[in-house]
Amino acid sequence: MKNTLRQVFRPGKFLAGFIIFAFILLLTVLYPLFNPGDPLAMIGLNNFTKPGTYVSVYDSLNVNRTFVFKLPDAAEKRIGSKLFPEDRETIKDYLTRLGLPEDSIDIDDTHDLMALWWNNYDPANQIGKTIAERRAYTALDNKLAGIFVSEDLEVLQYDPGTDEYVRKKMVTENDYVNVGDVANTIWLPLGTDNFGADMLKKLVSAIGTSLLIGLIAGVVATMIGLLLGLLAGYLGGIADDVIMFFTNLFTVIPGFILLILISYSIDQSRRGATTVAIVIGLTSWVWTTRSVRAQVISLRNRDHVNLSKLSGHSLPRIVVGDILPYIASYVVMAFILQISSAILAEAGLSMLGLGPKTTDTATLGLVMEWSIMKSAAHISGAWWAYYPVIIVIALISFSLNLMNTGLDQIFNPQLRD
Amino acid sequence: MKTKRLLALALVSVMLFAFMAACGGGDTSPEDSNPPGENTPSSNDTSAPPPSADSGDTTDIPRNEALYFNGFQWGPSVGWNAFSSNMNNPLAFEQTADGARLPMMETPYMYNFLDNKMYPLLADGGVDGYSFNADRTELTYTLKSAAKWNDGSAVTAHDAAFTWEASVNYLPDGYANWTPYIADVVAADDSTVVIKAVVENGKPVNANMMIQYLGERYILNKAWLEALIDRNGGDKDSIANDKGQDCVYSGAYGPFFMDDNKVILTRNDSYWGQDASMWGKLPAPKYIGNVLYESNAAGDSVFVVGEVDVSQNYIENSYKMWTEQGLPVSTYLADAPYHIAANMPTAYFNMNSPKVGLDDPIVRKAIAISVDYDMILANAMTNQSPSFKDVPRSLMNPSAAEQAMYNKADVAALQWVGNDIDGANAMLDAAGYAIGDSGYREKDGEKLSYKVSCPTGWSDWEAAMYVVAAAGEKIGIEMETYFTDWSVYQVTMTSASQTEFDIFMFSTQGNAPAQPYSRIRALLSSEFNNLDNNWTGNFGQYSNSEVDDILKLIPQETDAAKLREYYTKLVEIYLTEVPSFSLMYRPEKFHTVNESVWTGFTSSDDGRNVPPNNSISGYGIADLYNLTLVG
Repeated sequence: MKNTLRQVFRPGKFLAGFIIFAFILLLTVLYPLFNPGDPLAMIGLNNFTKPGTYVSVYDSLNVNRTFVFKLPDAAEKRIGSKLFPEDRETIKDYLTRLGLPEDSIDIDDTHDLMALWWNNYDPANQIGKTIAERRAYTALDNKLAGIFVSEDLEVLQYDPGTDEYVRKKMVTENDYVNVGDVANTIWLPLGTDNFGADMLKKLVSAIGTSLLIGLIAGVVATMIGLLLGLLAGYLGGIADDVIMFFTNLFTVIPGFILLILISYSIDQSRRGATTVAIVIGLTSWVWTTRSVRAQVISLRNRDHVNLSKLSGHSLPRIVVGDILPYIASYVVMAFILQISSAILAEAGLSMLGLGPKTTDTATLGLVMEWSIMKSAAHISGAWWAYYPVIIVIALISFSLNLMNTGLDQIFNPQLRD
Repeated sequence: MKTKRLLALALVSVMLFAFMAACGGGDTSPEDSNPPGENTPSSNDTSAPPPSADSGDTTDIPRNEALYFNGFQWGPSVGWNAFSSNMNNPLAFEQTADGARLPMMETPYMYNFLDNKMYPLLADGGVDGYSFNADRTELTYTLKSAAKWNDGSAVTAHDAAFTWEASVNYLPDGYANWTPYIADVVAADDSTVVIKAVVENGKPVNANMMIQYLGERYILNKAWLEALIDRNGGDKDSIANDKGQDCVYSGAYGPFFMDDNKVILTRNDSYWGQDASMWGKLPAPKYIGNVLYESNAAGDSVFVVGEVDVSQNYIENSYKMWTEQGLPVSTYLADAPYHIAANMPTAYFNMNSPKVGLDDPIVRKAIAISVDYDMILANAMTNQSPSFKDVPRSLMNPSAAEQAMYNKADVAALQWVGNDIDGANAMLDAAGYAIGDSGYREKDGEKLSYKVSCPTGWSDWEAAMYVVAAAGEKIGIEMETYFTDWSVYQVTMTSASQTEFDIFMFSTQGNAPAQPYSRIRALLSSEFNNLDNNWTGNFGQYSNSEVDDILKLIPQETDAAKLREYYTKLVEIYLTEVPSFSLMYRPEKFHTVNESVWTGFTSSDDGRNVPPNNSISGYGIADLYNLTLVG
């Protein structure tokens, strides 16, 4: 046993696959411990908020201790956050269209450029050709209003008793607060999805569910495939003919189409993650059956099997004791591939809207369905809503396949070094 | 061996057949929240080749001569028969209350939902230029002398009268939407049309419906209609399935091309509307086309790159297209909510449900006030409509005209903005719904537990119902989301005795001349109770005799103060009894334009008062005469 394990972990392929897979598995176990709560909770009132740390404006104003930092480039950054390089080009375009000589406009001199803009921009005289263009100029003008203002800001609080605004504090442009002092901050490493749910939390939960689906489907498919393959191979004759007839039948019909049909016929309210997993398992046993049968046929007439038969051992005992151990390594490898393909099948089904019902759990396929098929995350520019999912799916199936080929190198006599 | 093979072959064919049969059923339209009827594709006659109209060559169409649309339809179009509602050809034909589609067929007036007025098209005279007799039982308008069919003959009052006659006699539903209000349409002379109301106690049942008729229903060519009826032997079904290749039209565009993926109309350069009495010129695009895409997302990605000019799709976060991506895309309003909201998708309580609590207005109101409507707005609408803080809830849509029709101060105490978990809990506690052993509130040992439903795949609706379910859980009421296939959903929802859904969602009526009355009637009137296949409204089977009495009085009342009093009373009852509650305001038409090729579309800041109605519906078609090329 120890020797086998050492053998298994020696080739780089298996080890690499194992490390990737173990990392993903650990993530699903550990991350919820650090960030507990309902992964589907809709925390945001906006969909597709971009990744980053969010600080409560209200609480940061209410922090008592402020610190003064006189940073040389603070004002520049402040202007830069409003006036982008492309805005400078837009301003230049506008001014040249108005008839100002091009060489009189220096887009790098912020003060001159803004002075020219404010002197010449006239909201009543819209020179844009399209609605979009005219509105872009208006929006730019609104955005740039007060860009150079560096006066202190006054914070007023409404007092319902006297119906007046009471001055609370002054904020200067050099005031800073420590993020640790702000009561409410939230870190969203992958932003939020279309429901305003924490994407990373949801993704981790989805990985867990999808792995479970893979496991259940893999177990179901492998058990069926193994049982039928053993029976067909060992018994032969009529039993073999009947089993192979059905196996061939299922081989020529693409499994995914069967899967679609079965899923479609189950009402969505009854399609839980487990149901989908079982359905996937029920449609993907065919190749396991065929290869197990082939291997069993070659084992059936080995001496030790014949000896066992002559000793009067029962059929189950021969199959379990004398045949199964010889194909166990193959079955394990097939099982790993079953898991991988079941996860992909779930993703495919969900993208077609035939996956598990959406409100209970998240699966990798459902996350993809909502972000790509139903909410056009791509058009919203929300890469964080689908790229991480795609990468995770790819990583899972890549690591499982790596492990499979790694094992193949050890157990397949033709490939063994 | 041979029998084995044959058996295998037979089994495979059976499975393949089953596969094909199963696929045929899934003809739902995601995101399309309109009830089917006008747009339901008919597949009765699939043996004939697809009609190719004048079989124009679409590969030759230069981009700068064509205006492309998307989001109108989901299944392929059938033909050009404007008399039939089976054509699924919404680029050419769509007759809706907020303005009929006008490129090919025309109505006497074009409805403008911005100012609720009727602008003359085939009719002569000015805005709202029709006239009523003294007791409003007859509406009269005259047709323009310039109005011509594409075969050169004049559009006459006889065409209008015969369109009515044929509709009553040969439409499968016998014109059931109109016959309760309109008794007849007759030709007083060649150019004068008189619409006669159905009269009750010397007054019209609803005179506003006669006005609505002017902007909703086409005038069709009498000679063509006679030929159509004749060649189908007067059989209603066969008339409805006639492809109408020879359709005679009065509009600026006629059939050019149709296949499973697109429909294209081409300009009729002898269009009568060039006459100074109408537009004075031809519309700018030589072709208009609607292309079918597999899904909203597919259509959106084509729209983004400028291959589609006008999109009727709901596009999530569409504002990012111009604020972040700098695309030449715009909506009617420059800032949020971007569109004109007209509809109010509503959650109905099923009064027939045997579940405990639904018959109690306190439970219904507690659920309604606990829902987080801002969350619905953010998720289902990406903030593209006003919130209930902006426009407090009533029975009115957010348009200024409707908002002015009730006394806000009288019902202010009853209006809620939502997410009031404490308030809802207090109400339920006071009414004796205590948390029981089940962990949920109970009454007489039975827990409050409801099924919350909408069609599956309608992502924005699913998001909304998801929020409703979450609210119920917060106030101790068990909520199970139950999203089912549209084909199943519609049958259950329109059934009078269904007990499958407890809380379920559907649209209301949007903008129309006969609003807000028609919408309120559809929400509250008990006349729709116990009717199977009821598509009009009151799906929850609510019944209140006081409401029914007021609903009978309103259409016959002309005094504005009295009307306000009636409407205010109805809002008061609605917000107290809560037989249903609006989940959000929603635009009827999304109307997002990409100005990569064409510009001159309507916008709120251009002062033209053209409604954002997809540039070809109602008075929105005025856009076509204002378009210019960008390049």
